[in-house]
Amino acid sequence: MNPALPALSPGLILAGAVTAAAASLWLLLPRGSESPAARWLGLLLGAAALAGFVATGRRLGGLGEESVFLIVSLVAIVSGAATIVTRSPVYSAIWFALALAGVAGVLLVLGAQFLGVATIVVYAGAILVMFLFVLMLAQPSGLAPYDRVSSEPLLSAVAGAILLGLLTLAIGRLSTEPSLCCAVPSRSAAVTATPPGASTANDAAVVAVDPLAKDQVARLGAELFGRHLLAVEVAGVLLLAALIGAIAVVSRGEAALEEDRRTAIGRATR
Amino acid sequence: MPPLSPATLLVLVPLLPLVGAILTILLGRVLGSRAHLPAIAGIAAAAGAAVMLLLATANQVGSPHGSHQEPIRPVEMISTLWQWATVDEAYTPAADSAAAIPGTAVSRQPSDARSFSIPVALRLDPLTATMLTIITCVGLLVAIYSVGYMHDDPGYPRFFALVSMFVFSMAMLVAASNFLIVYVFWEAVGACSYLLIGFWFRKPEAARAAKKAFLVNRVGDFGLAIATFLLWMTYGTLDFHDTLSPDGTILPGILGQTRLADAAGIVGGVVGTAICLLLLLAACGKSAQLPLHVWLPDAMEGPTPASALIHAATMVTAGIYLITRCAPLFVACPGALSAVSIVGGTTALVAALIATVQNDLKRVLAYSTISQLGYMFASLGTGTMLGFTAAIFHLVTHAFFKALLFMGAGSVMHAMGGVIDMRRFGGLRRVMPITAATFLIGSLALAGVAPFAGFFSKDEILATLHSRGWPDAHSEHHDAAASPAVAAAVRQASVPVLFAAHSQTASQPLSTLDTPATFRTLFWMALVTAGLTAFYTFRAVFMTFTGPTRVPEEAGHHAHESPPVMTLPLVILAVPSALAGWWLFSTNWLAHFLSATPSLTAPSVAKTAAPHVFHMDLAIQGSLAAAIGIVIAAIGHLGRRSDAPQMERFLGPLQTVFANKFYFDQLYSALVVRPLEALAMVAALIDRYVIDGLVNGVATIPVVLGGIVRRLQSGLVQRYALAGVMGVLMIVLALAWQLRG
Amino acid sequence: MMPLAAPLLAATSMALLQNALIVGAILFALGLVGILTRRNLIVMFLSAELMLQGISVSLVAWSRHHGDWGGQVLVIFVLTVAACEAAVALVFVLQAFARTGRLDAAAWQALREAILVRSVDRELPPSDAAAASWPRLTPAGVLPERTADTPLEREHV
Repeated sequence: MNPALPALSPGLILAGAVTAAAASLWLLLPRGSESPAARWLGLLLGAAALAGFVATGRRLGGLGEESVFLIVSLVAIVSGAATIVTRSPVYSAIWFALALAGVAGVLLVLGAQFLGVATIVVYAGAILVMFLFVLMLAQPSGLAPYDRVSSEPLLSAVAGAILLGLLTLAIGRLSTEPSLCCAVPSRSAAVTATPPGASTANDAAVVAVDPLAKDQVARLGAELFGRHLLAVEVAGVLLLAALIGAIAVVSRGEAALEEDRRTAIGRATR
Repeated sequence: MPPLSPATLLVLVPLLPLVGAILTILLGRVLGSRAHLPAIAGIAAAAGAAVMLLLATANQVGSPHGSHQEPIRPVEMISTLWQWATVDEAYTPAADSAAAIPGTAVSRQPSDARSFSIPVALRLDPLTATMLTIITCVGLLVAIYSVGYMHDDPGYPRFFALVSMFVFSMAMLVAASNFLIVYVFWEAVGACSYLLIGFWFRKPEAARAAKKAFLVNRVGDFGLAIATFLLWMTYGTLDFHDTLSPDGTILPGILGQTRLADAAGIVGGVVGTAICLLLLLAACGKSAQLPLHVWLPDAMEGPTPASALIHAATMVTAGIYLITRCAPLFVACPGALSAVSIVGGTTALVAALIATVQNDLKRVLAYSTISQLGYMFASLGTGTMLGFTAAIFHLVTHAFFKALLFMGAGSVMHAMGGVIDMRRFGGLRRVMPITAATFLIGSLALAGVAPFAGFFSKDEILATLHSRGWPDAHSEHHDAAASPAVAAAVRQASVPVLFAAHSQTASQPLSTLDTPATFRTLFWMALVTAGLTAFYTFRAVFMTFTGPTRVPEEAGHHAHESPPVMTLPLVILAVPSALAGWWLFSTNWLAHFLSATPSLTAPSVAKTAAPHVFHMDLAIQGSLAAAIGIVIAAIGHLGRRSDAPQMERFLGPLQTVFANKFYFDQLYSALVVRPLEALAMVAALIDRYVIDGLVNGVATIPVVLGGIVRRLQSGLVQRYALAGVMGVLMIVLALAWQLRG
Repeated sequence: MMPLAAPLLAATSMALLQNALIVGAILFALGLVGILTRRNLIVMFLSAELMLQGISVSLVAWSRHHGDWGGQVLVIFVLTVAACEAAVALVFVLQAFARTGRLDAAAWQALREAILVRSVDRELPPSDAAAASWPRLTPAGVLPERTADTPLEREHV
């Protein structure tokens, strides 16, 4: 472990980090009008929490690997935190885009090249733009009152902290109880055994995940359209259904809205 | 048809009215106006069987001899139907003999365990045969009378079912040979009486009267229950008769021949007196003696045939029967015996005084019944053979003429459209001659005018009272009429010291009552009561049947003689009312017959047997009293309008006292009824506020809890999501805690 | 590339797995807190997407650890479904906005218990982030007709 903190056990550090994360979230979440001091304290605690997590993280072997991973994961996490904490929803969307970039970086580090790029393309390019359009249509000028308050910030922060603590605990145990996770033998060894490019016609199990292979995307495609062809077709139908459904709801909804405006607006919100 | 054995007949006597009752209940609505048929058939068949039993038993007893030469053999037949309850070794006496009940006759061994065994056993002996005959024959006549009286009543089938059920219960009561069975049917006749008094239950007075009768009887039943417990503790059995225990030894019954033959068989002392006084309490309840007499006048709210049957002839005689049956028990406790006499004599006088100012014909007869029953108790309390047999003799004659009088009153009531206040009608002998004639015969019998039935029986009662009040005079009197040997025996028998032979080392409580002075007082009270009886009886006769003929307007077109179905029983009853007394007395058949009853063959009782003599001096005294009474009544009421000012106004304030029945009802109301009502009110309040409050309070707990939990349902989606997340986390935490390590 | 790849491959796959899983867990928890807390419907959806990102990271980490394509395939489908969900959900958000005039999750309280009253926010001081901070551009083209009381920006469409 990190020699800088010999006296504290990793478990304790992690517990402290989780608690600090919860406290910082509580301080940072919009709670009406609060003092800037609270916000600075929140930031500080957040930084401390991140430091704690970093300190107890596992070594990855080399400085380069470690620093790359650290940077992209920090970008993702900080942006994610900023997404939920920012008062203006537009800023929230921008921070979300940055979080997507961070996540794409993590995915790339993990060797999922296609997915990293797909994340950017689909999420940041399509979904986020849709969100921005809606905000443009529906967001009042300035901060709405409901953007400045939160619903039960303390309990939610506590719930998040408990969840994070549980997950961290479980993840930490993976190294001590390998049988939990590794019933399926790792295929990493098969990478070097099988020469890249040589694949049998039917058995997809021979197709190994090799992050450095040039045709990794092709292999992913082969896997997708080979073993999971039916699921792919169904996903396509799902996309079609979503498209049609969205249009249908909109067109039916307009008639209902007309009727609503004729009688009394906001009848449902008593 | 093969001749029926006495055992079968004995079972048939109660069984046939029971079958009749059940058939009437089941088929009553179907039969409609013929609903009386099963009941009358049942009772008639039972009457036939009872008469056959009477003849069979009389055959066994034999005819009376001229003098007492040999002791009378007891005649009894026990027929055990089935074993109702058995608890083996129900009571094991303590090894320490000091813990045994003092003065008990049963020898106490540590191994003397007792089994609680109740057989349903019927007995046939002269007393039972007599009672059965009276019950069924009078019951039959009342049932025939009811066909006319209850003619248009909507409850017609119910009435006959109840009458039939009553005859069954009463027959079982007098035929049972076990105290517990007697208790069961004691309660049963009480229940039938309640149902019959409250026959017209929609009338509030009738319902109240029925409730009063039942509750007052309950007090007596309590006495009988405690007496039963004490009897079992003392004697180890509840049977009257001797039974064979499984190992072949005889288990002596309380009134069985084994025990009665044993000089020390019956327990005296405190326990014995307690038992006898409790039995007296039970008899007072059932026979309407002081202080439990208050229910009988109110019981006149019931239909008149019911009054005739129950409150004249049968149910109220259950007390007399019980004391006669337990004669040996009473004779062993002279104090209790005297208490019986005192209660009887006092009741007779008080009831007669109240009856003199009553204007309701049925009430007059009711108080007259109480008074005559008091006579019978006074006679029983003398403890001599003559006393017991005279009481039963009077019971028999009273059954006849009182049922006759009640049915006559019913006939009058029926003709007068339900009016029974004597001041509202008069001179009815021209309207209803048969009723008037039979009523007159009954009245003559009741007043004790020779040679009607009541004269002889009342004479015998006066005789036995006189014999206890003036023992020496009586023995001299007997000397002249009997042979010397018998006279010596009799003289010995009539000496009061006789009773001291039974006193054991324990003292006899209440023995200060057992003096000739007591009985002298009672004799004079009885004589005065005889005069009063004649007075109020003939006052009623004169007010009702003499004077100008007046009919109230409720009578309408009813004011004529009753139909034959009602007058025939009157005529039939008039015959024994006129003749039975003379016949039974002159042949001495009844006394001789009854003396063969096992209870009365006990040496303690049999010793007091006196030769059968007609006491002329007492007869003159009695007749004189009756004559004075009739004359005064005639002066006051003969030929006058019945609503004229009465001579009783000369009594002044006493009239108010008599009219208010000596304020017994007010006393009981203040002492018993009001406190119970207050207690009931408290209980009702507790029930309504405490108990219901608790229950409702428990019921409001979910409502309150729900009200708290309701507030979670705020409609805010994010709060719901938070609740869901917290729930999941808690579950996962719990699982993680379980799986740690 | 091989020298770089070799240490990566030689690194304990467990360490990479754990680190990536931690990242995924943190993103998931952040997204959860966001959904539970923020009242703006759009921000709620953004937080839901953040959760999905965390899930994706976890799945790919497992896939890398097992040497299997399963996780990545699943992430592709997650992506697909997320896109559909976003489309349909935003339609509903717009409908909800059209009925209530605001993007507030707390605007919908009609299903509360009858004994409760509608919960309203406490009064807040006016926002310091004023609309006046938006940059002003010189208008180009023809301005629409406007009177004095026509607002410069409309509240809603």
